[in-house]
Amino acid sequence: MVFVKAQKSKAYFKRYQVKFKRRRQGKTDYRARIRMINQDKNKYNTPKFRFVVRFTNKDIIAQICSASIAGDHVLASAYAHELPGYGLEVGLTNYAAAYCTGLLLGRRVLKKLELDEEYEGNVEATGEDYSVEPADSRRPFRALLDVGLLKTTTGNRVFGALKGALDAGVDIPHSEKRFAGFSKDNKQLDAEVHRKYIYGGHVAAYMNSLLEDEPEKYQTHFSEYIKRGIEADNIEEMYKKVHAAIRANPVQKKVEKPAPKEHKRFNLKKLTYEERKAKLIERLNALNAAAGNDDDVEDEEDDE
Amino acid sequence: MPAGHGLRSRTRDSFSRAFRKKGPTHLSTYLRIFKIGDYVDVKVNGSIHKGMPHKFYHGRTGRVWNVTKRAVGVEVNKQVGNRIIRKRIHVRVEHVQASRCHEEIKERIKRNDKLKAEAKAQGKIISTKRQPAGPKPGFMVEGALLETVTPIPYDVVNDLKGGY
Repeated sequence: MVFVKAQKSKAYFKRYQVKFKRRRQGKTDYRARIRMINQDKNKYNTPKFRFVVRFTNKDIIAQICSASIAGDHVLASAYAHELPGYGLEVGLTNYAAAYCTGLLLGRRVLKKLELDEEYEGNVEATGEDYSVEPADSRRPFRALLDVGLLKTTTGNRVFGALKGALDAGVDIPHSEKRFAGFSKDNKQLDAEVHRKYIYGGHVAAYMNSLLEDEPEKYQTHFSEYIKRGIEADNIEEMYKKVHAAIRANPVQKKVEKPAPKEHKRFNLKKLTYEERKAKLIERLNALNAAAGNDDDVEDEEDDE
Repeated sequence: MPAGHGLRSRTRDSFSRAFRKKGPTHLSTYLRIFKIGDYVDVKVNGSIHKGMPHKFYHGRTGRVWNVTKRAVGVEVNKQVGNRIIRKRIHVRVEHVQASRCHEEIKERIKRNDKLKAEAKAQGKIISTKRQPAGPKPGFMVEGALLETVTPIPYDVVNDLKGGY
């Protein structure tokens, strides 16, 4: 039977309540956001900073944000696509790159707040759990980890970024339970394994295993590495250099974009009353003309 | 069975959320700050069950006398018998909105302070008191057409036509 009663009547649409825009887009978990943003009322205007980490298919975005009614304000940000400037050109979304991005953001924020001399953080990445000790004069910069919609499994890259920020000297409350190398059986973090991940040891191991078993797959999968002459043994050194470069100069390079000549419009311009009236008259004339033609055609048919 | 007088009795409509505004509360509720001395309206948000005031206070306006981690203390007037008591309640911020009752006065204070400062600089004496609207000034009536109306003399014959 073709005739089916229309499911969504006018009444359905009239009564429909849309979810928040970012919920419709599937980007924000409001339940978590309310709890993260809520600042104690007796702390009045003191900002509550979130260490936001998001992964796209080819990039890592790390930001320090604070919320406001007009919109969130970003204090500092770091992207994985900035890492080529520090000497890392491949593997921009792996655990090691996440560590580098977190480290870059941490050092950047501390430099911005002039805390970088006081809080060096953990210069030699050992993979052990490291928390910032408060120094004598100013307290360390505190932020809360915001994972977004990620599943927080052990060894997730977001915790690589977290470790990077911690080692940079940022105070982020955390537990070592979710770092790569934590074994559920021992209930302990194996610092050696975590260190391997921070220096891309897992990538190096995969490269070695592919070299032995499937050399063609190695050629296709790690083609960019091969192009730059990066081999399994060089990887740890490479990351060590990147960390040093980040600590040396974490300042963000400002890209000067020339102001566009024409202001781009993303929505239609609102018509004035006269324009709308003119449009209506045009439409009516067109309709009348078309109706006139139909009448002519009908007359012809009658004649015949 | 009788109706009962529980805490939330008779609140079916007043505590319910507005049409098409149900579900999560928007974040600006949590981002507003309140200082002691601010005027606030108490308006219950039925979806937040903690820190709800009693239904009497729904729609009342009071002053903030305390600010805690998640709530504010509001001082509201309540008539009990033959007197009005200043009642102090603590309400979570979801059930409180900044009141605009004091807005006009604050603006006027700012304006008046500016005027007074200017007058002082110039050495003039001004009064910033509000004056009530006085009687309207006199005016000439424009475009009046004069129609003279005179009474017509009483006519016995016509009047008694109906019958007697």
